[in-house]
Amino acid sequence: MKTCKEKSDQTTMNDMIRKAWILFINTFLISMTANSGYAMLSVFKNRFVEKYGWFSKEDMDDCIALAQSCPGPIACSSATIIGYLSCGIIGALAGELGVILPPFITMAAVTYFYTFISSNIYLRIFISGMQAGVCALLLDIVLGMFSGIRKKNDVFYYAVIILSFLYVRVTDLSIFYLAIICIVTAVVKTLMIRRKVEKI
Amino acid sequence: MMFVIKIFFSFLKIGIFAFGGAYAVIPLVEEQMVTNTGWMTFSEFSDLIAIDELTPGPIIINAATFIGMKLAGLPGAIAATLGCIMPGFIIVLTLICLYSRYKKIPMISEIINVLKCMSVALILSVLLKMIMNCVFPSGLNSIDILSLVMMTVGFFILKKYKPNPIFIILGCGTIGLIASLMGLK
Repeated sequence: MKTCKEKSDQTTMNDMIRKAWILFINTFLISMTANSGYAMLSVFKNRFVEKYGWFSKEDMDDCIALAQSCPGPIACSSATIIGYLSCGIIGALAGELGVILPPFITMAAVTYFYTFISSNIYLRIFISGMQAGVCALLLDIVLGMFSGIRKKNDVFYYAVIILSFLYVRVTDLSIFYLAIICIVTAVVKTLMIRRKVEKI
Repeated sequence: MMFVIKIFFSFLKIGIFAFGGAYAVIPLVEEQMVTNTGWMTFSEFSDLIAIDELTPGPIIINAATFIGMKLAGLPGAIAATLGCIMPGFIIVLTLICLYSRYKKIPMISEIINVLKCMSVALILSVLLKMIMNCVFPSGLNSIDILSLVMMTVGFFILKKYKPNPIFIILGCGTIGLIASLMGLK
């Protein structure tokens, strides 16, 4: 009996380490190639939702929303969240490490020979080409999230999208206040619905 | 050693207020490093932004490593990087724990829904900025057709065949480089 339990502990442990390793490799690779944290979201969707099926697309959309409401780069916060959902605190650490190691190593190296890098024209062209790819990934993410919202069929959500968009484009205020406003709006909305239901 | 600790706390301060992606973080770093502490000159700071375009990863980590390295070598770089990611890491972990426990409560799921709408708006805004930057690099009256084609084709390949997105990014980079070597761009 005891050995059986030990054995299952062993397999879950191995499974977790395997998952953490996959997480680390994937975040490391994308962090090395992409200049944008949002590109990382696309890789997460592709690998962990569609290929490995570790969690659903709805969970993933929730995570993106949470990641954007936290301080720090999107790449770091989303890797931490995805890591935590896949295999707990080990996963969170693996994801975070995968994101920070490539920029850390390159930047540390760059300080030694940065005149070469900043004046290399081919590198510059290559990188500006990569931006078109990042745009394509972002388009995919935004449309995917939007179709999730559209299913709820509620004008209120469209209004939030438009107003938030205006907030970011028109004002220079921090996203922090926007997140707070959104949370308060959501609370007020649930309270109002609850009161209406009680009256009936 | 005291100096390294000072670097750590200085970046901790940046980390706490670093909401809203790369474009929002740049002024924060500038304020803290150029105006408040005087650890960098402004021209060094604009060099940093240019290099950031060419190196992988979020700008805040690039800045932290670069500045830390210049100020106090490798220990400085480690202290600065840890300082700027620590607040985000802790807050994210707290939120995700709360989320996985309470996501069934109507109010919490409503909050998530509204935040999701906010995310769509934020990503859309970044996307527009990037499209302007790579499809209309010199104003609205000149279109960079190659970028537009790469973006559209990349999007459809991604939708249809679902490859690893890294290949899309690298592919676009390579095509851009080849096109400019052949004198098309």
